[in-house]
Amino acid sequence: MAVQVSETVTGVLAAAQARLSAWLGGPEEAITFLGRIPLSAVALCTRRARFPWPDFLRVTLQCSAQALLIVIAVNLLVGAILAFVGAVQLNKFGAGIYVADLVGISMVREMAAVMTAVVMAGRSGAAFAAELATMQSNEEVDALEVLGMDTAAWLVVPRILALTVILPLLYVFACAAGLLGGLLVATGMMNLSESAYLDRSALILITPHFAIGATKSVCFGFLIGLTGCWYGLTASRTAAGVGEATTRAVVASIVWVIVLDAVFALCAHALGV
Amino acid sequence: MDAASQIRTPSSLPVLEVRELALRFGSRLVQERMSFAVAPRTIFAIVGVSGCGKSTLLRSLIGLMVPASGQVLYGGADYWAAGSAQRKHLRTGCGMLFQSAALWSSMTVEQNIDLALRQLTTLGEAQRVTRIAEVLAWVGLEKFGNFRPADLSGGMKKHAALARAIAGAPPLLLLDEPSAGLDPISSCNLDALILDIRSRTGAAVIFVSHELPSLFALADDGIFLDADSKRPIAHGSPRDMLAHSQEPTVHAFMRRQALPASAPAPVRATAPAIAPAPDQTRAHPGP
Repeated sequence: MAVQVSETVTGVLAAAQARLSAWLGGPEEAITFLGRIPLSAVALCTRRARFPWPDFLRVTLQCSAQALLIVIAVNLLVGAILAFVGAVQLNKFGAGIYVADLVGISMVREMAAVMTAVVMAGRSGAAFAAELATMQSNEEVDALEVLGMDTAAWLVVPRILALTVILPLLYVFACAAGLLGGLLVATGMMNLSESAYLDRSALILITPHFAIGATKSVCFGFLIGLTGCWYGLTASRTAAGVGEATTRAVVASIVWVIVLDAVFALCAHALGV
Repeated sequence: MDAASQIRTPSSLPVLEVRELALRFGSRLVQERMSFAVAPRTIFAIVGVSGCGKSTLLRSLIGLMVPASGQVLYGGADYWAAGSAQRKHLRTGCGMLFQSAALWSSMTVEQNIDLALRQLTTLGEAQRVTRIAEVLAWVGLEKFGNFRPADLSGGMKKHAALARAIAGAPPLLLLDEPSAGLDPISSCNLDALILDIRSRTGAAVIFVSHELPSLFALADDGIFLDADSKRPIAHGSPRDMLAHSQEPTVHAFMRRQALPASAPAPVRATAPAIAPAPDQTRAHPGP
């Protein structure tokens, strides 16, 4: 009986490991990929590798100005939804003013960073995966390697850098949009004055909340860039492979963003922040 | 050119030598026992039916796929036994034309060639501009330098990719199905261009092709890879293969015939039905 249970558990674990390996594209390959990024970053810093400035500027523009409107729209609505849900409950206790606390802390600590990351995973993460997978299937990546170029420095580092730099900036706009959404609902539905709402928000929004949100957005940017590039470069060299890489990149990015957010929440709780 | 110095060899040494090379995808054998040498100024064909491993062999020659065993020697230096720095050094002595052209889609044709030149040479900006104009004129694309690959036809993409491959004046060119997907006239023009490049630069050329007219027009030497036995079954120029090989597959391929289901007796060589006459093979019109 014990042997049977052991064999079953081993079989389940082996199947899970095989599925995980297939999903990740192979752990050895993943470790090699992760290892190449800091090496390529050092090579770029020491000018041993070329940095594609035009490509970097193009990607940065796609991640920033062209994504701003959707980030603002989503976060405005999230702020409004939080205020609406909070208003209904808090009004029962005559604590309507605390909707500013709910919206402010939720947006600044959690939702602005997470929702911006989700939008960027679906937008830029997917675009990175699709572009690199298409380059892979068109042998463009092979052409770079034949020239002796550092493909991680040329293709991966600029994309990760663009998202890592831009996501905190988008986070600032996301916070402002979320707080505005909350303000609109609070003043429109609950008859709170604008000055009362803003005074309350200014009182509760202390620096650590912003620090946590901004730190998260930096990590999320890195993670989304990494995931998009990984699935793009490990895609199979077919048209279906491009679609599959894009789907996997978006799903994996969102899952990892949520997981990382949970880790941040636990760490912040443990540190008493 | 810097790239040219990487694998320049005395004329007595082959530019590239392959010894007992075996290729595998995991546990699946692709080809084994491949041995051949490519002399300077030779146009060497890798021939075989679809799926026999021709492009895979080319990828292992250029360093994109690790062979299961065997040696690839560039000018006497063992590529796969070398360290990563020396491999990179050796690889930059090769110009590669990929089957899909593989032009970097986010750049113009000029920028594609410029990146290759910046990577392979120490030319200054003015010299690079001159060289880009030179190679673009050579392949007949002087008016298309600022076009992006998406705006070019299939034949023009191949010509642009060839311009990028020859920009650094490499002593060895590797061409993966250069005329695949091209109409007969474009294919013929590309063949003429390859012969012109060989005669003007002295580069050796290794090419993979299914196109019988191109094979007979271009190849001085070659190897026929068999998909069933997973090893080469004929060596020499396409005409020599046809004249001397006893293999039914070689004859069926070279004559563009279906292979009989049962193993037939070795075929006696006669002139190929589709191959052009020897005096016509080198007389393509210019691009």
